[in-house]
Amino acid sequence: MPFKKQKQHQQKHSGPKAEKKKLKKQNGSTEEDERKRNPKAFAVQSAVRMAKTFHRAQDIKTKKHHVPVVDRTPLEPPPIVIVVVGPPKVGKSTLIRCLIKNFTRQKLTDICGPVTIVSGKKRRLTFMECNNDINSMIDLAKVADLVLMLIDASFGFEMETFEFLNICQVHGFPRIMGVLTHLDAFKNNKTLRKTKKNLKHRFWTEVYQGAKLFYLSGMVYGEYQNQEVKNLGRFISVMKFRPLVWQTSHPYILADRIEDLTDPERLRTDPKCDRTVSLYGYLRGTHLKNKGQVHIPGVGDFQMSDVNFLPDPCPLPGTQKKRALNEKERLLYAPMAGVGGVVYDKDAVYIDLPANHVKQLQEVRPTTELVQSLIETHVTLDAKMAASKVSLFSGSAGLDPTDISEVQEGLREIHVWDAHTQTQRRKVVFTGLEEEEDDVSGSSSDEDDDGSDQENQEEEDDLSTFLKEVRDKSEKATKGSTPPVKKRKLEEMQGEEEVIAEAPAFADSEDELERGEADSEGEGEAERAGDSGHCSKESEEDSDDEEDGDEDDESMEEEIGADDSDEEEEQGKYHSGTFKWKEGLQQKASAAFLRHQEAAPNLRKLVYGSVVEAEDSEEEEEELGGLFRVNRPQKSKKVQADALDCSHFNPDISHNWELEEMLNSIRDCFVTGQWEEGQDAATLLKEDGKSSGGGAFCSLYSELKSESDEDETDDEDQQVKMDDEEVQKNKRLEKKRRLKERFDTEYDDGDATYFDDLKEEMQKQAELNRAEFEDMDDESRVQYEGFRPGMYVRLEISSLPCEFVTNFDPHYPVIIGGLGTSEGNVGYLQMRLKKHRWYERILKTRDPLILSLGWRRFQTIPLYHIEDHNGRHRLLKYTPQHMHCGASIWGPITPQGTGFLAVQSVSGVKANFRIAATGVVLDLDKSVTIVKKLKLIGYPYKIFQNTCFIKGMFNTVLEVAKFEGASIRTVSGVRGQIKKALSTPPGAFRATFEDRLLMSDIVFLRSWYPVSIPQLYNPVTSLLLPVGQKDSWSGMRTVGQLKHDLGVRNKPSIDSLYKPITRAPRHFNPLHIPKELQKALPFKSKPKLLQPKGKVPRDLKRASVIREPHERKVAELLRALSTVHHYKKKVAQRAHHAKHKEFLQQKEKDEEAKMKRMKDARKKLYRIMGQKDQKKQRSSLKGTPQDD
Amino acid sequence: MASHGLTYEGCNFLRQRLVLSALSGKRVKIKNIRSKDDEPGLRDFEANFIRLLDKLTNGSTIEINQTGTVLVYQPGLLYGGTVEHDCNPQRSIGYYLEALLMLGPFMKSPLKATLRGVTNDLTDPTVDLLKSTALPVMKKFGIDGEGFDIKVRTSWYSVFVEMQSNPGMDKVAMHVILYLNLSLVLHPQVVKRGMAPGGGGEVVFTCPVRKTVRPVQLTDPGKIKRIRGVAYSVRVSPQMGNRIVESARGILNQFLPDIYIYTDHMKGANSGKSPGFGLTLVAETLNGYFLSAEMLSTPQGQGDPILPEDLGRNCAKLLLEEIYRGGCVDSSNQSLALLLMTLGQQDVSKVLLGPLSPYTIEFLRHIRDFFQIMFKIEVQKPLEDERKGGDKVLMTCVGVGYSNISKTLK
Repeated sequence: MPFKKQKQHQQKHSGPKAEKKKLKKQNGSTEEDERKRNPKAFAVQSAVRMAKTFHRAQDIKTKKHHVPVVDRTPLEPPPIVIVVVGPPKVGKSTLIRCLIKNFTRQKLTDICGPVTIVSGKKRRLTFMECNNDINSMIDLAKVADLVLMLIDASFGFEMETFEFLNICQVHGFPRIMGVLTHLDAFKNNKTLRKTKKNLKHRFWTEVYQGAKLFYLSGMVYGEYQNQEVKNLGRFISVMKFRPLVWQTSHPYILADRIEDLTDPERLRTDPKCDRTVSLYGYLRGTHLKNKGQVHIPGVGDFQMSDVNFLPDPCPLPGTQKKRALNEKERLLYAPMAGVGGVVYDKDAVYIDLPANHVKQLQEVRPTTELVQSLIETHVTLDAKMAASKVSLFSGSAGLDPTDISEVQEGLREIHVWDAHTQTQRRKVVFTGLEEEEDDVSGSSSDEDDDGSDQENQEEEDDLSTFLKEVRDKSEKATKGSTPPVKKRKLEEMQGEEEVIAEAPAFADSEDELERGEADSEGEGEAERAGDSGHCSKESEEDSDDEEDGDEDDESMEEEIGADDSDEEEEQGKYHSGTFKWKEGLQQKASAAFLRHQEAAPNLRKLVYGSVVEAEDSEEEEEELGGLFRVNRPQKSKKVQADALDCSHFNPDISHNWELEEMLNSIRDCFVTGQWEEGQDAATLLKEDGKSSGGGAFCSLYSELKSESDEDETDDEDQQVKMDDEEVQKNKRLEKKRRLKERFDTEYDDGDATYFDDLKEEMQKQAELNRAEFEDMDDESRVQYEGFRPGMYVRLEISSLPCEFVTNFDPHYPVIIGGLGTSEGNVGYLQMRLKKHRWYERILKTRDPLILSLGWRRFQTIPLYHIEDHNGRHRLLKYTPQHMHCGASIWGPITPQGTGFLAVQSVSGVKANFRIAATGVVLDLDKSVTIVKKLKLIGYPYKIFQNTCFIKGMFNTVLEVAKFEGASIRTVSGVRGQIKKALSTPPGAFRATFEDRLLMSDIVFLRSWYPVSIPQLYNPVTSLLLPVGQKDSWSGMRTVGQLKHDLGVRNKPSIDSLYKPITRAPRHFNPLHIPKELQKALPFKSKPKLLQPKGKVPRDLKRASVIREPHERKVAELLRALSTVHHYKKKVAQRAHHAKHKEFLQQKEKDEEAKMKRMKDARKKLYRIMGQKDQKKQRSSLKGTPQDD
Repeated sequence: MASHGLTYEGCNFLRQRLVLSALSGKRVKIKNIRSKDDEPGLRDFEANFIRLLDKLTNGSTIEINQTGTVLVYQPGLLYGGTVEHDCNPQRSIGYYLEALLMLGPFMKSPLKATLRGVTNDLTDPTVDLLKSTALPVMKKFGIDGEGFDIKVRTSWYSVFVEMQSNPGMDKVAMHVILYLNLSLVLHPQVVKRGMAPGGGGEVVFTCPVRKTVRPVQLTDPGKIKRIRGVAYSVRVSPQMGNRIVESARGILNQFLPDIYIYTDHMKGANSGKSPGFGLTLVAETLNGYFLSAEMLSTPQGQGDPILPEDLGRNCAKLLLEEIYRGGCVDSSNQSLALLLMTLGQQDVSKVLLGPLSPYTIEFLRHIRDFFQIMFKIEVQKPLEDERKGGDKVLMTCVGVGYSNISKTLK
């Protein structure tokens, strides 16, 4: 068939279609949005549907929200803990080695303990390998930020992987990245692909859909392929982490270094003594408070005896603008693996110099010099500690130890002097040095301030030449040598302080008092200025002291200071007694002093510093004061141990509220007083008036207001302000800012939701948290907020068991977990628990169980219970199979909402899934309300109508008396009540029932008996076990285990054994209905009194008929005929039936046709009628306008 | 476990120590309680306080030695619920209430404490003062809601006890009193005060439970917009109240026109057992902070009687003194505010106070002992030409991140 050519498309070149197309070509492309191009298609079809879609969209949006939390991550975060987990021989160490090599270009042969590296400009990583012990897995899951889960692809998943995943789920889910190894074991590409897919999907169901799974395809010279490791490294270094509740609310340290500080002599005499150990590591989580309580999983609870922070051994590079790290900055720190170069301690530096770490050594050279000089001075530890500052000079000055100590004291004196006023001349502690000390301070001030020269010259004579020399030398030393930057800064600060201190020092001295006599008017002002100088100086001085890093020194110093002040006051009194010119000022001075006390120039010292000596002095005074008691005003504020416990703050008697000046001093506290620049209603109104074009009322009001303002304020002041250009400019700027703010609040805040507001609030709080202590030095900052996460800290714990040190194995993690308030106590815990669905057995009440809760792992005895509908906690013998139940234990107090997991044993490796149960802490109620059912059984021994006597339930009358009124029940369900005890037999009682009992009934009393929880709290001390046996901790055994181990077999009671059931057939007596009752019954219910038929007598029986042969023939014929007749009749009937049916059909058809006809006719009729009607209507409509 | 408690000496600050111990869960031992005194050991009111603490907690152990000079307190769980307590008349209800205010938000179940005894006396802050100043402070920390109130209300019970203890009272009088009491039940607003020596007042303190306390920044007190007060008098001439108001207004009107002092005269059964009168003044600032002062007449038969005019004037001056001290929290609630800051989230909290009272200073030390929290204390000097009273103290701290471990998780 020839192919018929179709008609070709002919493009229109003119006409409407062509026009349309042309238009489309020109403009059509500009409208991209379909909604606008074709609005009809997107018109609202159904309002309901639209509302539904809108709601759905909002629901989805809201579901994505997390509860906003304040971002408390420090500016310099601690290294990220990467835990590498997997079954043995899967390639964990190799992976860590490869990653370390990838980041630092260094090879680490042995992975021992945590390894910290700098991976980028803002990120550090700590790698930790997790061995195949469930203890390690539990501990590390609690501190991990990222888990690299190694899976042997050639083998598939192993139980450990799933166990670890479940542990993670309980303790907060860290980021988990799967890594498939041993992929080169697959020869067939298809099986490889299939396995990968299978493993991936299984992994996804466990972690989350789309969880990252890495493939390490093969090994090259015993290492993974470079490119793959690099990719993995990239993934790690850009990974973001979400905060986990437990980790963000508790401080913790993954110890990377441990030193035993125990006295060697003690060790020699008693090798098993408790050890003093210092632990080092990066602080993570949240702020750590000094002297707090910590838990070391696997060891126990301890009180920290001391915490210090050390310079970061693995610092982030400085903020230089470059993309990558240079070779110097790629640091590696792993003291347990023998890497780390120089490690610092509070008072010592350990240097390890392998050949390939020369660069690191160069970096820290200045500090090591200092350290070497420290080592040279052979002094005691205390002196060494103190000498951390002094040895700066010792290197250059070369003074002998005694001089050093003197210099030290001298320096210390300066500090003290700075802290107090010049009147402080009589010092008790440093006898013989008072004068010099005073002068030293004076002269030191003269370097900075020329104003004090005169005074200094007077005192110059007294200056001891020796000390002068020392000072000069020290100055030279500071200038000449280059001490660490921090120290230098310290001194500069000191210098500055002195500058500040100079003026107030005058004001507070006797000169001031002299002046005060002359002009009492200016006195108050001067004094106030003095106060302020005093205060700031002291606080700074304090921080300086802290920088010295010695708390001992500080406290000593403070004591001295306080003593001085006491002394000084006394002397002041003395002076005032001797010199007459001062007498007039007594009143004023005491008032001023009181005010000092109230306003507390250095409150910090007042509150925290001098508690101890204050009490001491008090006691001293009491001992003295048996005879005379000096009533001094300042004593009133001191702690009086047995004084009245009252929170009232007695008013300052020096304030006389009758005076006008006093009243004026608080005038601005009221709305009627003067307002600040920015807040003054008048100025605001004025500005508003200007900006809005001005309103007569506004301007009038502001004028009035400004007039009144002028009356109140100083004219001069205003004049100055008016003149100042700067001020004007500032004002304008301020006004602009305010306007913008107002604009912003009006227009930007339109669609801010509750969530946005909350988030903003959190943001503000986070900023405040960061900013508050930012400009403080670390030493004082640590005191206020504790050690912040990211710091490298050193903890000292004084009483660790010796096994911790002797059996130390760096492959096991040492975690120091901080405990919150009251988390160190032990108490009752109520928890919700569910047996793990993969655990094969159910758990039995009172079987010891090992829980991992909070930081702790411990063995305890749980009682399982379930809540009945009436709130009763009923004891369960076993945990339910697939349901939650309650569990109550005696254990460490842990906040509600903390998850836990339970294992039956931590020793050895079992084939089965080991996690027995998981759950959450619900309550910490100390009153336990678990009850168990107790059924008391008794037997009736005498039965009256509804009353019966029951015995065997109780043993004494007293017992019965306790249960009077209790409800009892029989097995068959007859309910009753205990009435009263019977005298004999003892324990029997009378009871009434709702029905009559049988002697065979058993009566029981259902009661509830409270159960007490066994107080077993046994921490798992797995870290104390010898090396190599750390995974073999075993605690208390279960009863079953004990029986098994001891070979004890239960002898069951004979009654409890199963026996074949023999049921004796029961005979029922015939039902006997009394005659009277029978009469009354309706006929239906009446027993039918039919006599059974007796035997029919022979004569009454009918005889059987026996036919003759002829008769038989006749009968046969008749039967045959009738059969034929029947058949014929049947056939005829069938035919008739068919005929009738046909007839009916015909009839129906006819009927139908008839109906149709009629319908048509009717239709026709109606149509005609309708037309007529319409016509009529039309005509009527037509008719009306015609009428108009 | 290694939780060894803290040891203190002397009976002073007993409440602070016990309250902080209950909150922190640390054991506390107090030695040498009035050991050198003629009557050594704990006083009745202290024992009474310990009993109240025992009622509020669950599982705490208290050991007191034979002479009562050594007290060991192992805190239990703060339970709360409905508690009724007859306070010792040696100290007013304020003494007990101050501690309850600190513990209230951290209970297991919302607290409803009914305290009976002296509502107003000289040594402790009165119930009126605490109601008007402590509650707003706590509200700033997010502790508020429906059932957060201190009510001074009539007590059936105490009158009944009184009746029973007085057998000489004739039947008619008893009926009258019963009738009066019935009418009181119908009008729960009626206040019943019990002045110093006798007592006979009743206070109901209800407090909701919070899991956490939110951090606050109370740094700008704002200006005082109004002053309110109550001049109360019981069992004295009703003119006393008016005389007090007159004199107090005389002083305060120099500063502010918006002053209103209610006079509150109590008669009959509402007036407790002892006569007396007093004045409580509260100044409210624009930012919603309250400064207060109060003054009472000296109890009957103790010391010189005071004229109501003097009392009004002195009380107004006390308020001026309090305003001079300034801050966002008045001097009697400093420790409460500081405690709530300490127990806040691990965020920076700030509060501006007037000069620290000795009680507060000791409280700060105790906070350091129990929670290892140190406050940053900055003194704010008034500027040269500023007329806003004396030095202020800006207290800053980072909270411990305390969460209410008593509350049940459902």
